[in-house]
Amino acid sequence: MDFSTYLSQLNDALMAENGPNIAYLLRPTSPHGKDLVKEFRNPTKVSMSRFEGSMQSPWDEIAIQYVLTCTHIAKKRPLEAFKEQSQLVSLFFRFFTENHGWTLPALFSMLRDLRDLAFDADLYAKYNNQKSECMEESARIIAKAFGNCMTDRISPPNESRKWGVYYVVGLVLKCYFRVKRISLSKNILRALEANNDIPPLSAYPRSHQVTYRYYLGMLSFLNEEFAKSEQELTLAFYHCHIGAHSNQERILTYLVPLRILKGHLPTTELLERFPVLQELYTPFITAIRVGDISSYDKALEKWERRLLELNLWLTLEKARELCMRSLFRRVWVASEKSTRMPVTMFHSALQISGIDVSLEEAECLVANMIYKGFIRGYLSHEKQMMVLAQTNAFPRVVDRPNPYALL
Amino acid sequence: MSSSASTSKPTESSKPAEQQKQENLPALGVLEEDDEFEEFAVADWDDSQTDLAHLGGAAPGAAKSGGDKLWEDNWDDDDIEDEFSVQLRNELAKTKGTGNGGNAMEH
Repeated sequence: MDFSTYLSQLNDALMAENGPNIAYLLRPTSPHGKDLVKEFRNPTKVSMSRFEGSMQSPWDEIAIQYVLTCTHIAKKRPLEAFKEQSQLVSLFFRFFTENHGWTLPALFSMLRDLRDLAFDADLYAKYNNQKSECMEESARIIAKAFGNCMTDRISPPNESRKWGVYYVVGLVLKCYFRVKRISLSKNILRALEANNDIPPLSAYPRSHQVTYRYYLGMLSFLNEEFAKSEQELTLAFYHCHIGAHSNQERILTYLVPLRILKGHLPTTELLERFPVLQELYTPFITAIRVGDISSYDKALEKWERRLLELNLWLTLEKARELCMRSLFRRVWVASEKSTRMPVTMFHSALQISGIDVSLEEAECLVANMIYKGFIRGYLSHEKQMMVLAQTNAFPRVVDRPNPYALL
Repeated sequence: MSSSASTSKPTESSKPAEQQKQENLPALGVLEEDDEFEEFAVADWDDSQTDLAHLGGAAPGAAKSGGDKLWEDNWDDDDIEDEFSVQLRNELAKTKGTGNGGNAMEH
């Protein structure tokens, strides 16, 4: 395809208001990109300026930017490619803000490419010991797109640019996570929450919902808002396409420990679908089932580095309490579910398990179990005796009213 | 076109020092640092293509007792028999023997 054909196809797509086709025409990986690179060899803004006015503004300049971006990509100059794509996007915004939501497929595609180019550019810079903040810059540009979607006050509801907000927010958050500047997310989420005239999240395409909920769940997790995190990640998982296996795996990586804390163990059926998670979590789950604290501790130690990298170590360290509960429950079962149990019994059980603590510490652990609602009863310090409730002395873990409140 | 548009495909490969440290640990695949949440291949899909499909109307994540077979909320087992159970019973017998055991005080 030569450039004049390209321009006329772009024009046709505009006339037809065909968003997906515009997306295709402006995607650097599309086959015509290669043709245009060959046609111009070493194009510059100056040499291309003769095409200004060949189409309605800003599309003449957009087409020129497209050639420049493709050329830099082909010549393996990712930093320059990113810069040209940034300008392309900025030019597109001029058109975007004056049109309805049919332009959204083009916007999404352009922003995705922008972010991918930022990714490549930063990676390239890193390996050449250069400083580069393309990902931050792409986040700024994508955040502008968010504003441009939000401020649509004229389109009819079905054709509103507001149908783009969640996709765009997902992309911005993805940028922040990439550069580990997660605190920046607050601004955009606040802006999103401040607007109550956008359609409900459930009305958006599932891909938008799931991505948004994943990042919201991750942010809540990192802020230790575990109840919210569990809620968002649960919805993200259940609405995720089953074919998007690695996304489901990613969601579950955090959802599994959160649900364990709540008292829901993943079944074998679930874990078998995700061998990586099965390998990681099975030792913990097995240990919780039988109250095997020393195996639990070994698993914590074995996976320590990985769990730290994933910010999950502390969560699994907290889940150790469930293992302790199972151990104490076994002591109780072995005592024929007696309602009175000397603290020494629990102390001995800990000793047998290879947990070398003093009697005072054992008593403290028992007290903690009562305080956190794992055991119903009270402790007589004078008599060194635990008195358990007549019924339901060990409620199911899931029956505790606020499982995340007492971590 | 060879490059561009290739996120979530990290090109880093050679980190010999770190690899040695990791030798005793299995790789965690998608959980490696440079991986990201991926773009979906399609924009929208219906329930039949999700894990909602098996729920039959139950709430997502309700666990087995609530009709969700992916999670289990009742795993307490009174009949575990292993080395630990034996040791535990022996210990219990000892406490009983000395007359200050828990059961001795009951009734």
